[in-house]
Amino acid sequence: MRRKIFIKRFDPETMEDAYIQGFVLDIAKNATLLEALIKIKEDQDGTLTFRKSCRSSICGSCALTVNGVAVLACSTRLDSIDWGEKDLHIEPLGNMPVIKDLIVNFHPFWHEIEKTMPWLEAKEAEGDRENVVSSEEARAIHESANCIMCGACFGDCTIRETDDNFMGPAALAKGWRFVADVRDSMKQERLELLSEDCNVWDCTRCNLCIDRCPKEVRPLDQIVKIREEAVKAGITDNKGVRHIMAFQSDIKSSGKLNETTMPLKTVGVLRSLGMIPMALRMQMKGKVPFPILKDIEGIEDVEKIYEIMGVDE
Amino acid sequence: MKYAYYPGCAAEAIMKEANDTTIMVAHILGIELVDMKNATCCGAGCLDEANKELSYVINARIFAIAEQMGLDILTICSTCLQTMAKINKELKSDPELLERTNKVLREVGMEYKGGVKMTHLLWVLAKDYGLNNLRKKVKRPLNMLNIAGFYGCHTLRPGEILGFEDPRNPQSLDLVISALGGHPVEYRGKTRCCGFHTLLVNERASLKAGGKRLQEAKDQGADCMVTPCPLCDISLDVYQGEAEKLYKKKTQLPVFNLSQLVALALGADVGDLKFKKHLVSPQSVVESVLAGQRS
Repeated sequence: MRRKIFIKRFDPETMEDAYIQGFVLDIAKNATLLEALIKIKEDQDGTLTFRKSCRSSICGSCALTVNGVAVLACSTRLDSIDWGEKDLHIEPLGNMPVIKDLIVNFHPFWHEIEKTMPWLEAKEAEGDRENVVSSEEARAIHESANCIMCGACFGDCTIRETDDNFMGPAALAKGWRFVADVRDSMKQERLELLSEDCNVWDCTRCNLCIDRCPKEVRPLDQIVKIREEAVKAGITDNKGVRHIMAFQSDIKSSGKLNETTMPLKTVGVLRSLGMIPMALRMQMKGKVPFPILKDIEGIEDVEKIYEIMGVDE
Repeated sequence: MKYAYYPGCAAEAIMKEANDTTIMVAHILGIELVDMKNATCCGAGCLDEANKELSYVINARIFAIAEQMGLDILTICSTCLQTMAKINKELKSDPELLERTNKVLREVGMEYKGGVKMTHLLWVLAKDYGLNNLRKKVKRPLNMLNIAGFYGCHTLRPGEILGFEDPRNPQSLDLVISALGGHPVEYRGKTRCCGFHTLLVNERASLKAGGKRLQEAKDQGADCMVTPCPLCDISLDVYQGEAEKLYKKKTQLPVFNLSQLVALALGADVGDLKFKKHLVSPQSVVESVLAGQRS
């Protein structure tokens, strides 16, 4: 069938701005995006530049953006792209500098992966044999170990787009892979590292990484597991933990979230002072609710649940 | 049509206009919403990070309340929707977990049998009530307006949990906008994130995310934005001015909650729609709709 494909072209050595080049090609409707790019390069424009290798979604080389969604070109059939416009608009991955056309510089991605110390610091083996890992223990890291480092999650990550200090989904998933490895001796240090500057708490839970990952790593699920483990490990002196703990205490005290006291509980008194001008503007619009909430009916049942489950505020 | 109504904490406080106008819309359309006076906060995906077992019990308690009422739950908050749909799915698919959760609930005389479904006002309008029926009720068509639908992450993703529509290619909100006579705007940010959930943890990154979505909509010619989530509303309207300061660029794009815009199109008394509570005034947009009705 005939497809129109628009590709964002850029060569920093010869041009100031990127431009969009359109191609028309006749290709099988179930061809992959990578096959389409190869056909364009072979038949129409040999200067088109992109990464590829295995063609089997295992090397992670060919991730790019099509109609606003980061995908692996080799595992995405043209007839499966049912989002965005009818024509295909291909761009390089986001959140990384472009080297040429569809090739980005992965340095920022690797830099974040490296920060997580992605290697095993093995415990002393017990007795005279190697550390034994049960099936259940292996399952805990199975998803995160599937990562092929293609950068699709990183390229579309909401917070990485607005904060260069955020490690991004792939690195945090890699973090979990070693936090949860029972053979590793540095669980506490790793949890502390991932909590530093709130990193694991900066994620805004948009779930784009779960949607984008071609290997079902489910990075956000691993981020949530790191958060849970960090709380259990007592790494609680940060805004992220204070925020979730406010939910736990608010539900017990009135049943509902107290939006008026939440900023104070999360960021503390000092930082809250800086929020006063904003609060005043909201106050003028009737958007600051009275800070003492009416209890829900049956709040005593909620209190009893907390008591039975041994949850302190 | 009758639902156990779960507005969520934001729509009962900062975004009270979302709750008030939902009740108005339901009244006009003949959808019966029954209050759940003893329902708690769902924990918004935060409680389960603090204490997963507790979040199962707290949410199962909410489901049990609806089950006793014999009703499914309708919420107007995307994060409540996603949090509750996820936990509901886990409880329904793991009998051992459900029993463990019920063991605690029985101590307060309750039990959840797994018979409740979650839905959202957007889904009810687009499917259960139906677009044709909605179209017939429109008294003030929004045909002067280019409207950027902002779905909100938690009405879309993860797709396998929410399952209402394709998270990469959602239609419901655009179809509702069209049914109200408006013109849906295509823009990059439509299915992306407003940054709300890290507003108090990483304020700068959060504000920049919200600001970016507003710019993306504005660049494609949007006159206003509409969202089915009161949390997105907070990021996009309440904090729009803060985002403008970071980008040193004015957007001033009015943002409506879905129920406000529907109520406006259905001919509700404009004075009741609480437009004065917006931080970015939607006055000119509202006036153009009213002028269209008069002409």
